[in-house]
Amino acid sequence: MRDLRKSFGNFQALKGVTFRVEEREIFGLIGPNGAGKTTTLRVLGTLISPTSGVVEVFGRDVVKEAESVREILSYLPEEAGAYQYLSGEEYLRFMAGFYAHERSAVEEMVQAGKDISGLGDRLNDRVNEYSRGMKRRLLIARALMIKPKLAILDEPTSGLDVIQAYHVRGMIRDYAEKIGVTILVSSHNMLEVEYLCHRVALMNEGNIVSEGTPEELKLRYNAVNLEQAFMEATQLG
Amino acid sequence: MGNFTSIVYKEIKELMRDPKILFGVVLLPLLLYPLMGQGLQISQQSVETAIKGAQFSVYSDDSGQIASILVQYITQNNNVTNIQSPGLGDALVKFKDSSSVAMVYVPNGYSQNITDGLKGRVKIYANLKNLNIAEASGAEVAGSLVSVYNYYYSLAIIKELMVVTGNLGSPVAIHDPLSISYASIIKGNVIEVAPSQITSLIVSQSIMLPIMVMMMVIFAIQMAATSIALEKEQKTLETLMTLPVGRLTILSGKLAGSVVIAVAGSISYMIGFSYYTSSAFSFAPQLTSVDLTGVGIGIQPIGYALLGIVMFVTLVSALALAISLAVFTDSVRSAQSLTGVLIVPLIIPAMILMFSDIEMLPPTIQWIMLAIPYTHTMLATKAAFLGNYWIIIRSIAYISAFTVLVLWIAAKIFSTERILTARFTSFSFRKKKAQAN
Repeated sequence: MRDLRKSFGNFQALKGVTFRVEEREIFGLIGPNGAGKTTTLRVLGTLISPTSGVVEVFGRDVVKEAESVREILSYLPEEAGAYQYLSGEEYLRFMAGFYAHERSAVEEMVQAGKDISGLGDRLNDRVNEYSRGMKRRLLIARALMIKPKLAILDEPTSGLDVIQAYHVRGMIRDYAEKIGVTILVSSHNMLEVEYLCHRVALMNEGNIVSEGTPEELKLRYNAVNLEQAFMEATQLG
Repeated sequence: MGNFTSIVYKEIKELMRDPKILFGVVLLPLLLYPLMGQGLQISQQSVETAIKGAQFSVYSDDSGQIASILVQYITQNNNVTNIQSPGLGDALVKFKDSSSVAMVYVPNGYSQNITDGLKGRVKIYANLKNLNIAEASGAEVAGSLVSVYNYYYSLAIIKELMVVTGNLGSPVAIHDPLSISYASIIKGNVIEVAPSQITSLIVSQSIMLPIMVMMMVIFAIQMAATSIALEKEQKTLETLMTLPVGRLTILSGKLAGSVVIAVAGSISYMIGFSYYTSSAFSFAPQLTSVDLTGVGIGIQPIGYALLGIVMFVTLVSALALAISLAVFTDSVRSAQSLTGVLIVPLIIPAMILMFSDIEMLPPTIQWIMLAIPYTHTMLATKAAFLGNYWIIIRSIAYISAFTVLVLWIAAKIFSTERILTARFTSFSFRKKKAQAN
């Protein structure tokens, strides 16, 4: 991603964002609400077009080759829901159908989704009977079961309690290691990002203010954790 | 399963499993209309029973022979109380306190008037204790009784006069010397049926079609708006838009799913409504049993085929319009209130055309009506009865042009980020800045 800019009318949401995520890496975008994280992910997810700049996913341009990009990425929006009148398994099967066309491949994908979600027999229940944590596990399973080259997870633990968030983080990390998927995570929970990500970019007011491994950032700003590093980097501390 | 089929299947499943839609669109018409019909039938039957068992009174101020024949006629035919009273005021008090619904009053001078060759006057009082239909009808029954007497009494007088004058012929013919019969010419064919019978038949049949069209389109609009708003409300649309499936496939899949549910809703509505009309109006005499298909009135196979095309393009345009509007909302409730506006251009032409012809309206109103695409749907249903296929083809062309325009707008909205970022608030479009982050 090079010099990405995005404006909504007179409001400039992104002011020249540049970063690169390596293959099989878990990369974190952290920053407060309004920093531009979701807009960045939406551009990458082919949902919105950049005002200017170049954005590529595995060498494919997100504007010119949007359909091709959609085949290799999986996007989980913040606070996304699932179809409430479908069962968990029906939802996974519906989604798998867009990526696999052979019956056996669909079943293989659905089985992977079932395993990742860890929801067991509850997958036979309708989604409207799920707790928030269960829904999130189902959605993350959906995002990862297709074995995307790039998974974009926007605030994956948003709105979850400590225990649910712990399980979801575990799911992401385990599966990423197991199949070697590249993951881009956004969060305003700095501790979560520190636990999950190999490298991190700190975002504020539409700009990347610093980038590196969690250890490098802490060292760079002489901070005990990423939260403190962020405050120093943005000179808000 | 292909992407399109997969989306259609999911749409139908989701909509049919939603209790509000299943109950409101499919089950409610099946339950509500028959219940309404039964209710109406029960109330009509109770009115009929009340009329049949109604009690009457008669009070005569005239002691003449001719008046007593009338009183005798009335009393022998029904459950009638003959009020004995010194005057009308007192008789009315007795009548008011009785269970009679009507009182036939024969004033003094009735017999004398008839003897003198003048009209004998009779007055009927109705006792409206509860102000209901049965009471008013009771008074009419009493009036009919007197009318029957009047007819036969006049025949008797004519017969007597004929004897005196030595006239030949029938008293009935003298009473009604003219006999009128009607015939109608339709499309060059003379048929021995009154024009009023033909128009009432066409009206009774052509009213059902606009109602059906209107209901089907309203259902379809609600389905499509609900479907898209649900996706936005549950935030599933964003995920759907990042899947490797064309935006037009998503749009057409949603349209097709809504069409299926709308058709199911319309069938259920028609079943319920026909049960309602058959049970609610079972007491009414049949208007006519005239078969007009022989003279080119009634829908021919080609008419049905063209009407099918009209319905299809109408549905697609309404759905595309509903989807185009619903994407600017963020909840089912706001989508339904916004698309509720679309129901106005549907109801107005349906209501107007149910009771009049477009040619009968002032020119300005005609043009306004013709600008509304759904007017053409209604015009096509009427034209199908009369075999005016050019009107149907014109309707198809106009609605199709409108549909293409609306689909183009819907496809534009679906293929840009507007579907996620635009929002309809306080009658102005604004970018959803808050959702940018």
